[in-house]
Amino acid sequence: MLELEAIEAGYGNVQILNGISLAVGRGRIVALLGGNGTGKSTLLKTISGLLKPWHGSVTFEGERIDGLRPDRIVRRGLVQVTQGKEAYPAMSVEENLRLGAFLVGQRAARRRAFERVYEHFPRLAERRRQLAATLSGGELQMLCIGRGLMSEPKMMLLDEPSAALAPQIVLDIFRTIGRICRDGMTLLLVEQNVRMALLLAEYAYVVRDGVVHIEGPASALIDDDAVRLSYLAGASAA
Amino acid sequence: MGYFTDLVIVGLSLGMVYGLVALGISFIYSGLDIVHFAHGEIYMIGAFLGVTALRLTGLDYPLLLLISMVLTALIGAAIERLFYRRLTRQGGGISFAGMGIIIAGFGISMVLQNVAFLVWTARAVPFPVNFGLPIEIGELMLPRAYLWIVAVTLALMAALHGFLKYTRLGLAVRAVAFNKDIAYLLGINVPLMMSVLFGIGCAMAAAAGVLIGPINYVEVSMGIGILIKAFAAAVVGGFGNLPGAVLGGLLVGVVESLGAGYLSGNYKDIYAFALLIAVLMVRPSGLLGVTVKVKA
Repeated sequence: MLELEAIEAGYGNVQILNGISLAVGRGRIVALLGGNGTGKSTLLKTISGLLKPWHGSVTFEGERIDGLRPDRIVRRGLVQVTQGKEAYPAMSVEENLRLGAFLVGQRAARRRAFERVYEHFPRLAERRRQLAATLSGGELQMLCIGRGLMSEPKMMLLDEPSAALAPQIVLDIFRTIGRICRDGMTLLLVEQNVRMALLLAEYAYVVRDGVVHIEGPASALIDDDAVRLSYLAGASAA
Repeated sequence: MGYFTDLVIVGLSLGMVYGLVALGISFIYSGLDIVHFAHGEIYMIGAFLGVTALRLTGLDYPLLLLISMVLTALIGAAIERLFYRRLTRQGGGISFAGMGIIIAGFGISMVLQNVAFLVWTARAVPFPVNFGLPIEIGELMLPRAYLWIVAVTLALMAALHGFLKYTRLGLAVRAVAFNKDIAYLLGINVPLMMSVLFGIGCAMAAAAGVLIGPINYVEVSMGIGILIKAFAAAVVGGFGNLPGAVLGGLLVGVVESLGAGYLSGNYKDIYAFALLIAVLMVRPSGLLGVTVKVKA
């Protein structure tokens, strides 16, 4: 469904990605692992169109999408879910969700999207009139995932849904993500929380210094010492 | 007492015009990080477009207002797309690139003045609308032009508020104003929303120009004076704060009118700045400004 071919990208003169290739099949959950500063966020920006790659190609459903404007990519059904802190704080929960459905023209379709999101995250329904600034970290993360779901995408790019959250909340959120994927969502999950990501994903890539360092089925990587070692410079390997 | 009331009413109506221009300036700054120094010329062009539309079509005043606002919004959006967009990409506000935007603003202001000079010549023209006899309330004689100013300004403010709060497009404009990258990731056509935002800011100035027309003359140099007053108003209210811009406009208008009436009309332009300095000494970020907005 999504293929990256020898992607090189960076900011200004600084090259961050040194030729990354990866593939995510339809209906699959693939994890992208790596510590801080390994190029995970840069890669996400390159896929979602915020950053143009210097070399290489991004293909979604058989068509090149690199160089397209980000909103055009969302229109094709590929949505990047931002981290929880990226909700619009001065807007209510409902307004944030409505923005997620900006591309959904029909009123009935928007209502369906709202129902689906509130079904996955009942907490958001309770707080629909509250400003996003008053939500907890976990609720903000739910809001951003819900906001991504509102456009009814075919595939989601999840940017560290476990960032700065308590373990119990992380577990809740990962359960919901699993449920969403069983409904047919394709997922590229970017994580620092290796164990959680490998429990959910089927296949994983470990990125280091802007290249794919290790890749393999999640079940194999979960016991691999090399994965842990590649994290020594990074964050929570546990 | 009657004299005082008169001065306050005149001050409030002029203040509403300042407020409208300041609203546009604040709106553009809060959304695009552009400190727009050519806004006075946008106001001037709006006024001239109103006069020309009246000459060509002879339509009613509210329709002239609408035509001028739409045309000016389109002109403004084109200016933003052609000139400012290249600069805001490098960053705006309080940054090195922000300086470039300010200089570009002065340049555009000069170009617009000269274009207007070629099209409409240097002659001051009256805005030939007749609103009918003044309204009498007790001993007060209230020219209807002032009522138009108050009514139209209130309607425009309500319309802008409703647009931003309750429409899908308005919500998207707010999203783009707050953070363009996130808006992009939600599938919002960010470049289009930036044009819409700038266009709305310019339409407010055009409305102000058409509203002041029947009271003052319309002339090429009219933009300079209003720009200074409107900036004072925007800063007094808190730069980038929309209700603050209107509040600032009203304060500047009333202070100016009272000063001219009781102290001296010769120093009319000083009172706005005296107010500005006084407010900034007490509240450095303006009356309704919470914190000074700093963007990298």
